[in-house]
Amino acid sequence: MDPKTTYIAIVNLVEAVRPIGAGLEAAIAVVGAISVLIALIPAIRAYAGKALAVLATFLVAGEVLLGWMHWRLYDLMLVVEPSTGLTTGHVAAPLWIESEKLYVWALLVAVMGLCMRRQRDELMPGALFGAGVLAVGGTLLSKPFSNPLPNLLSQYVGYLQSLAAGGMTAEGAFQGMESARQFYYNAWFMWVHPPLLFFSYGALVISFVATLLMIRHRHSAYETTAYRWARLGYLSLTAGMLLGFPWALMSWQGEAWWWSGKVNMSIMMWVLYTAYLHARLYLRTRGMWKAVAAVAVISFLILVLTYVATYVVPGAHSYASAEMGTAIAALGDAAGAISGAGA
Amino acid sequence: MSTIEEIRQRVWDFWLTIVTVAVLAALGVQSFIGTGYVWWAQRAIPEWEAGPGYAAYVELMNLIAAPLVLVLVLVMGLCVPKRLFSRRALILVSGAMVAAGMIAWAVTGKLETGLAIYLSLAAIIQVAVVVLTVAGVRGPSYLTEGRLTKTGSGLLHLGFVLFGIVVVALQRSSWMMPVFSAAAIFSLVGTVLAFYASRLAWHRSTPREETAFEWSDEPDYPESPKSVSENPDSNGSM
Repeated sequence: MDPKTTYIAIVNLVEAVRPIGAGLEAAIAVVGAISVLIALIPAIRAYAGKALAVLATFLVAGEVLLGWMHWRLYDLMLVVEPSTGLTTGHVAAPLWIESEKLYVWALLVAVMGLCMRRQRDELMPGALFGAGVLAVGGTLLSKPFSNPLPNLLSQYVGYLQSLAAGGMTAEGAFQGMESARQFYYNAWFMWVHPPLLFFSYGALVISFVATLLMIRHRHSAYETTAYRWARLGYLSLTAGMLLGFPWALMSWQGEAWWWSGKVNMSIMMWVLYTAYLHARLYLRTRGMWKAVAAVAVISFLILVLTYVATYVVPGAHSYASAEMGTAIAALGDAAGAISGAGA
Repeated sequence: MSTIEEIRQRVWDFWLTIVTVAVLAALGVQSFIGTGYVWWAQRAIPEWEAGPGYAAYVELMNLIAAPLVLVLVLVMGLCVPKRLFSRRALILVSGAMVAAGMIAWAVTGKLETGLAIYLSLAAIIQVAVVVLTVAGVRGPSYLTEGRLTKTGSGLLHLGFVLFGIVVVALQRSSWMMPVFSAAAIFSLVGTVLAFYASRLAWHRSTPREETAFEWSDEPDYPESPKSVSENPDSNGSM
């Protein structure tokens, strides 16, 4: 593998995705904002179903583009042991990391919204609102197309830079990149744990919408719908969290992850949803529906806080201390070094 | 069962559920406070994660969580096998389990050992519950969603107890992955059975779509959930 050629190919790929992606980013943000308005304004709420279909189409198109970019990156991102020249493998970046997390959540809510059957018309504005807010946030804040995978690109370009320079620096950079490849990007947990959690987050958004309808209209049918989506979300939440445990034990050995901010919030979210499922067994008991509704609402608020905690509370799971938006700068900084070494 | 006994049983079940919810809420509050502390400590104390502060924090969090988990498993032991054993027997067995755990803690001086003994005994009880439920002891004579739900409930609680054992005692053991895998499989299969028994049952009854309940605050005594065949939306875990 020639570091300079690889570097140029990655720059070309990012530059190729950026103009199409920037257009998609803007389009998704606009459609997301319009979706929020349609969900909020009663006079045009009848178009909620169509708006959600349009939003989902844009989000799927964006996901296809991201998938193509990841596939190309997989081809390009080889990890080579500097002393022997042997390739240890490709870097397989999952589609739900870094700047793509919120985007995936928006996509799942939109798709689940389209799949709803029970009380579809009543739930549609809420699902549209949720998907719209997440889509706007997922494009304007995270910028998955115009600032793709900042940490991965930054780390890999740094590795290429060190590889071109050679010596002990290259060996150190290889150790870091290979460790990230094995225990993070290519680890099977990474391909199962986060998507299960995002699937549950999507289902729990719909459950929350149904809970709000139950509180407003006081009709037990909404409660049943809320429960059905909650049990689907709880199942994948439990599976996702369980699968994260041995991964954390193996990959974060010696690191401060137990009772860290994100772990705490995740435990809190799980115990609250467990409490909700237990409390609703006594739904027919006097006044219990209020407690059940309260626990359901609090659980969802904690879900949102759990997601936000990733960016606010430092720790093993966290992006709080990461320098977001460094990838493009790193590409620029590395250009001179790699060009010089390759010349 | 007489009417008074039925009411007592319902009140008993109701309060077990309330205790479960309260303990889960307490664990949630602990986690929330813990998050706040981590957020503060990371900013206020240089190198907090690498220093003794983090170790002391983890020890304190474990110490607070231990009795909550113990109560949770205790309630589970009183609640899940209630259709198979008498309440008196369950209380006696639970008391003996707590005593065994306390003795182990006192003898070894390690809370982890006491918890591990207690959880191991709870796992044995849960295995017995699952086996008896599958065998149909004091249950329906054919495989309906009722038995599936109960089996699911027993399995998911068994998975929870096994996961507790992994966290408490097996994190650095070669047994970690096998026991964890069993815990994960039991929990997930149990959850699927408990949630979707009506769809998986061999002999299906027409599922009732809604759990009707009163919106008013009229006085009422605590009512236990109807049997699963009548109330397919119940997760059947209590």
